[in-house]
Amino acid sequence: MTIKVVILLLVSFAGGLAVGAGYVAFLTVLGIIPRLMQLTKTYNLIQWYEWATILGAFIGCWLSLYEPTLKWSMLFMIPIGSFYGVFVGMLAAALTEVLNVFPILAKRIGMERKLLILIMAIVLGKITGSLFHWIYFVDL
Amino acid sequence: MQDVDEMERTIYIRLYHRIQVQPNQEIRVKDVACIIADDPLLSQIDHLFIHKVKKEDRNMIVIDGMRIIKAITERVHDVDIQMIGPQQTIVEVVYTKKKLSIPLFILVWTLLFVGSALTIMNFHEDVSMQIVHQKLFKVITGIWDEKPLLFQIPYSIGLGLGMILFFNHLFKKRINEEPSPLEVEMFNYQHSIDQYIIFHENKESSLKKIDDH
Repeated sequence: MTIKVVILLLVSFAGGLAVGAGYVAFLTVLGIIPRLMQLTKTYNLIQWYEWATILGAFIGCWLSLYEPTLKWSMLFMIPIGSFYGVFVGMLAAALTEVLNVFPILAKRIGMERKLLILIMAIVLGKITGSLFHWIYFVDL
Repeated sequence: MQDVDEMERTIYIRLYHRIQVQPNQEIRVKDVACIIADDPLLSQIDHLFIHKVKKEDRNMIVIDGMRIIKAITERVHDVDIQMIGPQQTIVEVVYTKKKLSIPLFILVWTLLFVGSALTIMNFHEDVSMQIVHQKLFKVITGIWDEKPLLFQIPYSIGLGLGMILFFNHLFKKRINEEPSPLEVEMFNYQHSIDQYIIFHENKESSLKKIDDH
C-alpha cells in the first residue's frame, strides 16, 4: 500500500514536472513575457511576472481539478474574458511571427508598405471567426 | 614632412550596404561608396568607372570592395586605401517601379482574413474551448450557461487586441521607440537574403571559382 502511494506520488509529480517545464519552455520560445516587458518598460519586474504565470498555472490546476463554485457576480466574467482573449491573441500573434509568415508573404507580393493592413486582416479574421464560433457555430 | 605627405594619400572607403540603380546606368565609385580623401585625390577617384548595368545582370549585382580598390589603384599610385564597413555593395537594378495591384491585394487580404477566422475556429474546437468556457463560467458564477457569451465576447475582442499588442502597432510611438518584433523579423529576413546574394552573386568570391571547374 505504502509503496503504491509512493509510486503514485512519484509518477504524478514527474508528470506535473514535465508539463510545467513544457509550459514554461513554450512561453519562453514565443517570447510573450519579454514582449510585455518591452512594451511596459518593466524589465526589472521579471520575477513578479514569473510568479504571476506560476501562480496562474497553479490556480488553473486547482480550478480545473476541484471545480469549486465561487458564486461571483457575472460581471467578473467580462474582465477575465478580456484578459484571456488578450493572452491567447498574443500567443497566436507570436506563433505567426515565429513561423515567419509575414516577412515572406510581404516580400513575395511586394507589399512591404501595406503590412499594417495585412495584419489587420488577420486580426479582424480572428475576431470575426471567434465571434461567429461562439454565437452561431456552437449551436449547429 | 614625409609622414604628413603619406597621411594625405590615405583614402578611406566605406561601401554602401545596398543601392538602387537604373537599367543601363554606369556605376561609378561615388555611387557605391562614401569616400574620405584629399580634395584633388577625391575628384580623381569619385567618377572612376566600375560597372555598366547590362541586361545579363538582371536585377542583382554585387560589387566587391576589391573591384573598387583595383579601379582606384589603376588610376592613382602610392595611396593607402582603408576599407571600413561592408566588404561589398548589393546593387539592385530597378526596372519599373513595382505597382501594387489592387485585385492581388484584395485576394491576399481575403485569404488572410478567411484563413485566420477558420484557424481560430479549428483551434477552439481542437481544445474543446466551449466546454472549458462553460465549466469556467460555472466555477466562477455558479450558474450553468449553455452559451456563456458574457465571457466569450470579451474573449473574442481581447483576442484581436492581444495580436495588435504583440505587433505593437497601436502604441508604436506612444510607448517606446523600439522596433516591433515584426519589423525586426522583416529586417532579419532581408538581411539573410542579402547575405545569400553576397555569397552567390559575388564574382570575386572564391566559392564561385571552385564551383566553376
